[in-house]
Amino acid sequence: MLKSPHRFIYFVLLPLTVATLLVMPWLGEHKPALDVILRPAENDLDAMIFWQIRVPRVLLAMFAGMGLSLGGVVFQAIFRNPLATPFTLGVAGGASLGVTLSIFLGLNLTILGVSGISLSALVGAMGAIAIVYGIARATGNISPNTMLLGGVAISFFFSSLILLLQYLGDMSDSFRIIHWLMGDLSRASVDTVFQILPFIVSGALITGLLHRELNLLSINDDLAASCGLHVERMRIILFLAVSLMIAGIVTVCGPIGFVGIMAPHICRLLVGSNHRNLIPASLLFGGIFLTLCDTLARTISISAEVPVGIITAILGGPFFLWLLFRKRRSS
Amino acid sequence: MNSIHVQNLSFRIGKRLLLDDVSLHADTGERIAIVGPNGAGKTTLLRCLLGFIYGESGVIKLNENPLTQLSRQEIARMIGYVPQQLDHDIPFTVLEFIMMSRYAHAQSGGLIPKDPDGDQIARQATERTGIQHLENQSMSTLSGGERQKVNIAAALAQQTPILVLDEPSSHLDPKQRESIQQLLGEIGRKSKTTILAVTHDLNWAAMDFDRIIGMSDGRVIADAPPVEFMTSDILHQIFNAHWAVQPHPESGLPMILPTHHSPGLITDY
Repeated sequence: MLKSPHRFIYFVLLPLTVATLLVMPWLGEHKPALDVILRPAENDLDAMIFWQIRVPRVLLAMFAGMGLSLGGVVFQAIFRNPLATPFTLGVAGGASLGVTLSIFLGLNLTILGVSGISLSALVGAMGAIAIVYGIARATGNISPNTMLLGGVAISFFFSSLILLLQYLGDMSDSFRIIHWLMGDLSRASVDTVFQILPFIVSGALITGLLHRELNLLSINDDLAASCGLHVERMRIILFLAVSLMIAGIVTVCGPIGFVGIMAPHICRLLVGSNHRNLIPASLLFGGIFLTLCDTLARTISISAEVPVGIITAILGGPFFLWLLFRKRRSS
Repeated sequence: MNSIHVQNLSFRIGKRLLLDDVSLHADTGERIAIVGPNGAGKTTLLRCLLGFIYGESGVIKLNENPLTQLSRQEIARMIGYVPQQLDHDIPFTVLEFIMMSRYAHAQSGGLIPKDPDGDQIARQATERTGIQHLENQSMSTLSGGERQKVNIAAALAQQTPILVLDEPSSHLDPKQRESIQQLLGEIGRKSKTTILAVTHDLNWAAMDFDRIIGMSDGRVIADAPPVEFMTSDILHQIFNAHWAVQPHPESGLPMILPTHHSPGLITDY
């Protein structure tokens, strides 16, 4: 852990975030000139690529990374399990099943400007949330372990249903399903940025205000209760709020899994486990990380984009291990 | 008034009756030890007192208010809790950990919690427990005794008129155990704090408490001051064991002595 988490957040992570947002849209196959971008002529191709494709995409990656990382922080705290993420708890599984079903059935409807795929992802994610919550309620024991096990069971169940649908579907359906399952930011547009923004803002606000509660929950239920926290109610509130946020992200970007497990742990090593620092740090770190990974994903090969989920895991895994070993050696 | 009244409390999990018609009371400033064999229902009783679980019948009153009508935060402003050793790594510094126990006080301020004196109160608590030098250390680097002092400091920072402790000195070596017991003795003497402690240390119960409550099979078997409680007869009723009770050479308080096994007998086991 660093000596001054505050300074690290404000003087390292925050400027890095701004720098990432400013620099990344300029990278790519087209190398636009500065004055063309700032004073675009009408129907200028470079300016259009810049403003309508790259900027939204960088923003989408930033927001999605923030939300996924925050989701990991909260789930690891409320379930007191370092491997808990919204993905281990079935939210992403539900969304994926929704998308797979809609591709398989060939649903091509659009409701209120939201595509059928987004809608079915949202419905699937909500379904998974309801089932996990229902399991916890029905056993009369809203304990971290019941919910965790319920979520993992649901996750596996959904995965096998997805495989079954893929097996039954034709080649092109299967390809679309697999592509979506790998996590993909290429559908970024101004609309998708605005679609995801309210989820991230409300998720960040709720968890930011509840950093004390998260600290207490991350230690021990009895101790938290004796300090005055209504443990079960708070766990449910956080579970539902964060699941909803993740549902919003997965709906647009697909299940980009690795950010939610790795970014929070890296931030814990850097700024400690106090959620007062951990929440802003992992928001910023998750955002930077996914934006860098996505930039790499869309620039690494000219012929085809690499799905960003592959890049996050390839880059993140070794980096995380390096940090872990470095910490072990120094302590 | 910092009193607890328990009337005819019963608690059951499935078919097993863990608390069977338990009644007891603790008045302001009283120090009460709860003893009994494992599985006697001592910890269950504490959990009921703290409002973690609710009995199937009976009433618990805190200062004449039924516990069921108090919110978690109201209870937390009245009862502080020192758990048994928390056995996993706690990734917080000592001061951060102690500040968490200010939650109920900070929370009364509304959406953005305020607790202007919290920091000062936390530091006073580390001073009283003699752990100022550990304030910025990580909890995971502390010894068992130091950790337990932090737990006590956290409960003190909660500024409650009642303290409930669950085997606060088990898991500790004899010297650390003594220093924790001394610390709790001072807290009891210096303030009007009502103390209820579950313990297996009968001699400590005899030395430092006003009253001992003995439980067995979910029932209260005896409730008396140490001098009356510490007789081989009552101890036999509770623990089903024969122990010799002797006066302490200095204080004259009754102490139990371990049963003597002659070396030849050990092979008979």
